Amino acid sequence: MRIVEVDPTSCVACRNCEYACAFKQTGDFDTKDSNIRVNFYPEERVCIPWTCVHCGEGWCMEVCPAGAILRNPETGAVEIDANRCAGCKMCLLACPSGSIHFDKVELVSKKCDLCGGDPACVKFCTSGALQFVEEEEAYSFRRESLDNKLKRLFGLNKRGS
Amino acid sequence: MQIVIIGNSAAGLSALSRFRSIDQESQITLVSAESATAYSRVLLPYYLRRKIPHEKLFIRRPEDYERLSVKTVFGVEVRHVDPESHTLTLEDGRTIGFDRLLIATGSRPLLPPVEGLAGANVYHLWTLSDTEQLDSLFRPGRRVLVIGSGFIALQAAWVAQQRGLKVAVFELLPRIMPTVLDERAAALLHQKIEEHGVEVRVGIHTEAVERTIKGVLRVQTKGHPPLEVDLIIVGAGVRPNTELLDGSPVKTDRGIPVNEYMETNVPGIYAAGDVARGPTAFGETHQTHALWPTAVEHGRIAGANMAGQRAPYQGSLNMNVTEMFGITVASMGKFVKDEGLTSHVIDETGQSRYVKIILREGIPIGAVALGGAEDTVILGRLRPWIRNQRRLPDVGGFLEGRYLLPRQVA
Amino acid sequence: MPERETVQTLCRMCDDRCAINVYLEDGKIVDIDGYKEHPWNRGRLCVKARAAVDMVYHPERLLKPLKRTKRGFEEIPLQQALDEIAERLLAIKDKHGARSISIWKGEAIGFAQEEDMARRFVHALGSPNYFSNDSMCYNGRYFGYRLVEGAWPIPDYENSRCMVLWGANPPHAHPNMTQMIMRARKTGAKLIVVDPRMSAIARQADLHAALKPGTDGALALGLIQQLIETQGFDREFVEHYTVGFAELAEYAKAFSPEKVEEQTGVAAVVVRELARTMAVAAPRVAVYVGNGPEHHENGINNIRAVACLDAILGALDREGGNRLAEGFKANRLTLYDKIPLEHLAPIGADRFPVLYGFRQECHTMTGMNTILSGEPYPIRAMILTAANPALTNPNTLKVREALGSLDLFVVRDLFMTPTAELADYVLPAASFLERVELHTHAKYQLVTMTRKILKFPDVQDEYQFWHDLAHRLGIGEYFPWNDETELTGWILEPTDISLERAAAHPEGIEHTPIHYRKWEKEPLNTPSGKVEFSSQYLKDLGYPALPEYKPPAYLESPDSDYPFVLITGARKLIYYHSRFRNINRFRTAIPGPEVELHPDDAAALGAADGDSIRITSRIGSVEVPAKIKSAVEILPGTLQMTHGWKEANVNLLTHDDRFDPISGFPLMKAVEVRVEKV
Repeated sequence: MRIVEVDPTSCVACRNCEYACAFKQTGDFDTKDSNIRVNFYPEERVCIPWTCVHCGEGWCMEVCPAGAILRNPETGAVEIDANRCAGCKMCLLACPSGSIHFDKVELVSKKCDLCGGDPACVKFCTSGALQFVEEEEAYSFRRESLDNKLKRLFGLNKRGS
Repeated sequence: MQIVIIGNSAAGLSALSRFRSIDQESQITLVSAESATAYSRVLLPYYLRRKIPHEKLFIRRPEDYERLSVKTVFGVEVRHVDPESHTLTLEDGRTIGFDRLLIATGSRPLLPPVEGLAGANVYHLWTLSDTEQLDSLFRPGRRVLVIGSGFIALQAAWVAQQRGLKVAVFELLPRIMPTVLDERAAALLHQKIEEHGVEVRVGIHTEAVERTIKGVLRVQTKGHPPLEVDLIIVGAGVRPNTELLDGSPVKTDRGIPVNEYMETNVPGIYAAGDVARGPTAFGETHQTHALWPTAVEHGRIAGANMAGQRAPYQGSLNMNVTEMFGITVASMGKFVKDEGLTSHVIDETGQSRYVKIILREGIPIGAVALGGAEDTVILGRLRPWIRNQRRLPDVGGFLEGRYLLPRQVA
Repeated sequence: MPERETVQTLCRMCDDRCAINVYLEDGKIVDIDGYKEHPWNRGRLCVKARAAVDMVYHPERLLKPLKRTKRGFEEIPLQQALDEIAERLLAIKDKHGARSISIWKGEAIGFAQEEDMARRFVHALGSPNYFSNDSMCYNGRYFGYRLVEGAWPIPDYENSRCMVLWGANPPHAHPNMTQMIMRARKTGAKLIVVDPRMSAIARQADLHAALKPGTDGALALGLIQQLIETQGFDREFVEHYTVGFAELAEYAKAFSPEKVEEQTGVAAVVVRELARTMAVAAPRVAVYVGNGPEHHENGINNIRAVACLDAILGALDREGGNRLAEGFKANRLTLYDKIPLEHLAPIGADRFPVLYGFRQECHTMTGMNTILSGEPYPIRAMILTAANPALTNPNTLKVREALGSLDLFVVRDLFMTPTAELADYVLPAASFLERVELHTHAKYQLVTMTRKILKFPDVQDEYQFWHDLAHRLGIGEYFPWNDETELTGWILEPTDISLERAAAHPEGIEHTPIHYRKWEKEPLNTPSGKVEFSSQYLKDLGYPALPEYKPPAYLESPDSDYPFVLITGARKLIYYHSRFRNINRFRTAIPGPEVELHPDDAAALGAADGDSIRITSRIGSVEVPAKIKSAVEILPGTLQMTHGWKEANVNLLTHDDRFDPISGFPLMKAVEVRVEKV
């Protein structure tokens, strides 16, 4: 399945992803409604976008007392069926990365569903920090980055070319 | 192999799921004393409160069992288990043979030994049947006394208040939710409950219940005038359903002790859920955590082990969340006794918010949060730290939203 | 499910011009997303693009011409509006002469053919007085670089080993550039950001030089000094392709890292590290200067000093360095050769000869004074399109007074802006989804044609407007084409791209292949044909030949009455200048104006986040809520306030009487102010 690959070293906390996701959910830009959140730490100069990673063994899925959290067979996304959700918040307690939030208006839990396979956050990420890639290939850019460093270290430093 | 699972709730169904994901060949029979389709106990108050419709209580349909090739025997109690002959005997006399057996019979509510308590107009809020009965009895203006102040009792009180009944809560100990909340948190919740017009009395001993001719219940307490109510709901603890093991070699001791593989003392027989006393995330070997998430975990481990995977359980981390009286109460781990430990508190009780994280030598061991949904998320994020016993030096930063994942900690 | 039609075009919510898919159902636009095939943005977009759907159908959108009457604005038929405007223009022309009529073209209509139409019109009419937003944007960099190397170059991020973003913040200003920068970083290129604030891009900088506002020249000269001292410069290139190196090197000697630290606040060790990082990466160093350094009294020379780095590092027109783009050799609409009008004293040309000399542009701030005083001759009429100077030019009160005093003021816009409120006639203008025009993306030397997707009955595109007016004024021969499509066809005539071919390739067509090292074969576009560290052209005009550094006034002669320094105009992604404040969801994200403060300054003022702060300059005063940043995001003693807000207009504070002497750009980013809590 394809997942949203996140590169904190390319993120500039512009929050386009939060706006795009919130817009998809509600038509407005209230970032509380976004399923993707960006944390920015000014003192450390670190930007971390984060969303549900659709765990292979989702604890939220397992623990839901209403059986409202299921895996979408097409996209592989872990999705909350708002019609089944009773708003008990057990999934909020279950998710280790805090990726589920509670909608105080509809009184149900909400989370990323990969937009059915065309995630809005990725489309509107201006820096390219978010990519939608096959899980087997995810984070291969880290390897490429390392390769580039090694290439330079081992003598291809072409100054003046 | 012949697999038999006794129990059709969280533990039993979780075990069933996990077993089948590993072993699609063995035959499975699922026996349950309740005849209703599998329902979620956690959701019963939501239905009673009219938040969800009746049909949403059910978490399995007949086709789900068909898909997993499970034979079901519903509405029949198991009378006796005989490990020697590998059979169990049902109440109608039938026997079922097994190679591996999972006992996930759960627990049932306790009735404290109060004179006159057993009898008409006294209920629990535990089963679907209880709930349907209470649903027909809840009328605006009726008076109800809730005895006990644990999660179930207070949910019952909340539901009744929302349905327009006049509610009083009696708690024996000096504060409400004594095993769940510390003094400060209990005081905050107590206040929220009273703000909703529910009378709360702590440190009160119920001595006797009389029934008048008109069916009104008169409740006698020490040092107070009698209280007249139309019904009583008792939420004063549960006891494990181990009667089926009486006289059998399977050891019971306030529940069924199991090891980290959910095995009882008898090979081939497992136990999971409220009926079991298993390992905890803090290293205790036999504890009952009568909680839905624990039952699900137990079931998963039992199912895996029964299918031949030697998968040890990391231990139950007791966690629970419920919303009532306009506040969300979430708890995890050990957070009540804090002598000799560090606690990090956000005390905003004026804004209906109280969060406390307890640490032992810098490692979080528990937390309680009263507040909004975001505070529940904090506990969810804390879970990996508690489970993996990782140091969290910057609790303040953590509460601000830093350290998404444990690896972020410097 | 209704049938969905998809049309490709370019987005012009800002100047990045990303390629988009526009989705229509029953002729109504319902959605917009990125067009993956276009190499410019590769399918990525910012959230402004989708908001175009809300913008074109906005309930506040002007759809009928308006005339000012005693009862306020009244709708009148389009033909009547055009007739009346033409009549009044002719009367003014008769009475005061053609040059009393001026045009102001704003950023929102873009550049290229839209700009050229406006220039053509005013020239055909006999007036040299073309004003535009470029009196305070873009030209600063253009002059700074053209004076040194003949053109403003395009950074080749993807092949670079070191990128320098100097007073530029792509994530908010030109969002698409961010993905190019990040792709380069993935290959190991280093990112240096020079900016007094921790802007969005600075969050990922390997080195962030947070220099004091207006001291860019000192830092640039300090880098030059270090590169020369440590032999980190391209000796061969400098020897063969530059003039004035010896003089520059001599002048730069004084800018030791310690002296630079004193002047800029950037630590000496960081100055050395910056130079070293650039030297190691040379010649693959791509430097991009943003609007930041332009708005200073020493702006041009500061930018020239930065521009010198290209040659010093040997990065000029090299792969991974700063490339000199080759233009699209199409027909131009301007009439400067056919009808030269310099002799008519274009406003500001005498004061700022480089501005008129290089760009045939008049100086807007001088224009305001001219309107009010009538000196050196009257300006009595103005047609303004796609601009909002009543909010975005410095010294708002004077701008309002001036524009309000014109005999005839015609404004074209999509919405009723504060500028339009001063007009005699407000004409509804076509948005980018309603125009056919050509855009070039210099980075890939692509040309793309947009599509006219919508048409509202009385809403004219620019060409239609100029055409109809021109034909009423007797200059119709200069606007012979029937519509903008025909015009576009004429523009394309000398090229090998036909209208049909352009229409068939929404992913753009490369008009000229990309070449590097063109200086090996042809001279640069400077008087000497080489890189000019020292400019005879400037010397002849009476300016210093070298990019001499003059400290900003607030450092050189601090005024204790105005002890803080205010930076204005930092970009916000979703609000482009004064635009888009009427998109509701944008207001959810960023509800209103604020002034950024250092926490120590806030504490000294006794101000908490959200408290109302009064900022006062020698020009005026404004009250605005405080936003307390983290101590690492802004320098103590400096403030930043973004422009374009009616509720708290920072241009009530900015100077229209202090300029860079070469470009005429106003001081907007180092304004002396005092601050108090309200």
